[in-house]
Amino acid sequence: MEENLNKHSNISAADLDRLTKEANEEATPSSAKIIWNEFKADKPAMAALIIIIAFIIFVMIASLFIDTPKMMETNILNYNAAPGSNGFLLGADTGGRSVGQQLIVGARNSIGIAIGLTIISSTFGICWGLISGYFNGYIDWGMQRVYDFMMMLPMTMMIIVLVTIIKNYNAVTLTLIFSIFYWEGTSRLIRSRTLSESEKDYVAASKTSGTGSFKIIFHEIMPNISSLIIVDTTLSFAENIGVETGLSYLGFGLPLQTPSLGTLIANANDPNNITQYWWTWLPAALLIIVLCLSISYVGQVVRRAADASQRHGAAD
Amino acid sequence: MSLVEIKDLKVHYPIRSGFWNRVTDSVKAVDGISFNIEAGETYGLVGESGSGKSTTGKSVVGLEKVTSSSIMYKGKDITKKANRKSLDYNHDVQMIFQDSLSSLNPRKRIEDIIAEPLRNFENLSKDEEKLRVLQLLDIVGLDADALYKYPHQFSGGQRQRIGVARAVATNPKLIIADEPVSALDLSVQAQVLNFMKKIQREFGISYLFISHDLGVVRHMCNNIAIMNRGRLVEIGTRDDIYNHPLHIYTKRLLAAIPETNVNDRAKHRANRLAVEEVYREQQDKYYDDEGKAYPLVQISPTHSVALPEDVAKELILKEGEVQA
Repeated sequence: MEENLNKHSNISAADLDRLTKEANEEATPSSAKIIWNEFKADKPAMAALIIIIAFIIFVMIASLFIDTPKMMETNILNYNAAPGSNGFLLGADTGGRSVGQQLIVGARNSIGIAIGLTIISSTFGICWGLISGYFNGYIDWGMQRVYDFMMMLPMTMMIIVLVTIIKNYNAVTLTLIFSIFYWEGTSRLIRSRTLSESEKDYVAASKTSGTGSFKIIFHEIMPNISSLIIVDTTLSFAENIGVETGLSYLGFGLPLQTPSLGTLIANANDPNNITQYWWTWLPAALLIIVLCLSISYVGQVVRRAADASQRHGAAD
Repeated sequence: MSLVEIKDLKVHYPIRSGFWNRVTDSVKAVDGISFNIEAGETYGLVGESGSGKSTTGKSVVGLEKVTSSSIMYKGKDITKKANRKSLDYNHDVQMIFQDSLSSLNPRKRIEDIIAEPLRNFENLSKDEEKLRVLQLLDIVGLDADALYKYPHQFSGGQRQRIGVARAVATNPKLIIADEPVSALDLSVQAQVLNFMKKIQREFGISYLFISHDLGVVRHMCNNIAIMNRGRLVEIGTRDDIYNHPLHIYTKRLLAAIPETNVNDRAKHRANRLAVEEVYREQQDKYYDDEGKAYPLVQISPTHSVALPEDVAKELILKEGEVQA
C-alpha cells in the first residue's frame, strides 16, 4: 500500500510540514471563537452573561465570610428591621435575621443545587437517550419501559416522601434525590433526535469504517445533536433553580436552618410581610427572575452559535 | 474463484399489525438473489427505485441484517458478525454512498473523516497518518487546505470525491458504490466516474456499481444484473444486456434511455410504444401468479434470464430470426 500510494501521489514526507501549515491557515474558526463572536454581536446577552458569572462568583466568595449558624440566630430586637437601619443593608426578617446575608447564602445553596442537579440529571438523561435511541430494538424497548415507569411516579409527592423518610439530609442528598426524578425529559428528547440521527449515512459510513458502537454514539452522533443538548441544558438549569426553591417554599426543600431563595420567598406567605415588610421577600423574588431571564438569554446565543444559519456574529 | 459469492440473498422486513402487534406479513425487499463478483471487475446492479438494489449493496457491506443467505468471502460467511470481525472484512470492503453530504459527518474535519478507517484498521503514527490523508487528497484532486475544512464547505462533486478517498483509504478489494453519481450534475458525474475508473485501473479494485442510470452503467460495467421487485430478472455481459435483452423489463428499461437523435424521433417513439404494448399484453407470461419474476434460466455461458424454460426458448428463436 505504501509504495502504491507513493506511486500515485506526488506528495512525500518532505512536504508534510509545509502542507499542514498551509492547511492550518485556511482552517475554519473554532466553536469557542464562534460563540464568543455571537456574544459580541448581542449586547443584552453579553450583559446577561456578565451578570450570571459575576453574581455566581460574588455569591460563592461572599458566603465564605458568613457564619451561617450565627446568622440564623433569632434576635427579637431586630424584628422586621427596615433596610438601612441597625446596620442591615436589606433589612431583617421576622426573626431579626439579616435578609442580605440570607440572600447570599441562600442564593449559593439554590444555585449550587441547581448546578449539581443539572450536571447529574442531564448527563444521565443524555447517555440514556443516546444509548436507547442508537441501539433500538430490545435495548430501546427495555430502557423506555424504565422511563415510562419513572414518568408514572408522581414526582413532587415522591420527593416529599423521600425527604421526610431520610433523617439527616443536606444539600448533597437533596440534589441526589432530585436527580432521580429529573432526567426523564432530557432522555426522551435526546432519544428522539438520536433515532433520526442514527439513520443518516455518516453513521453507516462510520460502521463500515470499523468504528465501535460507543465511539459512534459519543464521537459521531453526540456532536451532531450538541445544539439540542446545550439548549436543553441551559433551559433545564433555569428550570432547576425553580425546582429547589419551589420545594423549599413549600417547606420540603432544605432543612430549616439552611437558608435558600425558596425559604426567603416563603416569607410572602404572611399577609403582614406582603403589605408592610416587602424587603423580606422581594429581593429573592427579583433575583430569581433576573437569573432565569439571563440564563435563557445566554441559552439563545449558544443555540444561535450552534446553528450557522441563525448567527448574528461576524463570520471572519 | 470469485471475490465475493452471494447465494440466495433474502432481506425481508416484518409488517406488524393488529391488537397484539404480531408479525402478520413481510415486505420482501430482496427475495432470493445470487451472483458473483470477480476480482478487478465492475459489476452493475440496475433497477427502478424500490427494487432492492441498495438493500443488496448494504447487505454485502454488512450494514443490513439479512433474513437468510450466505455471502462468501475468503471462504467464510460474512453475514455473521463474528466472521466479519475476524476477517477485518470492512478493511477489504468499503462503500461509497449516494448522498455525499449526509455520508460525511458535518461536525468532523476532512482529515478526521478520511483518517477514520485508517485509525480503525491500520496502526499508523500521527505523521504517517497525516501523510497518507494528504496523499489520498492528492489522488482525488483536492488541495492540502481541505484538511482542516468541514464537509459543507465543498461542492457536491468535491464531497463525493472525499467519499471516494475515504473508501479507498485502506486499499480495499471491493467497493460498493450505491448510486455514487445520481445526485451530481452531468459534467461532475463524468468527472467522478472517470476518476473511479482510474483508481480501479491503478489499485485493482472491484466495484459493485448500483445505479438506475443505464448510460452510466454501460460506461462502467462489464457484467450487469437487472433487478425488479426484489429479484433478478436478467444477468449478462454488457453485450448480452444491451444488444440481446430477453426479459420485457430489461427491454422497457432500455427503451426508456433518452435518444437525442431528432431525425429518428418517430422511429424511437414507435419502438417505445411497441415495447410498452408487449408489456401490457404479455405481462403474465413474464411474471408468475404473484407478480414476481421467475427463477433464472441460463441460456448462454454468460447470459441468464428469469423466464420459464419454454418461453425463453421461444424468445431466443424469435430473436434469432430478427437478427438473421
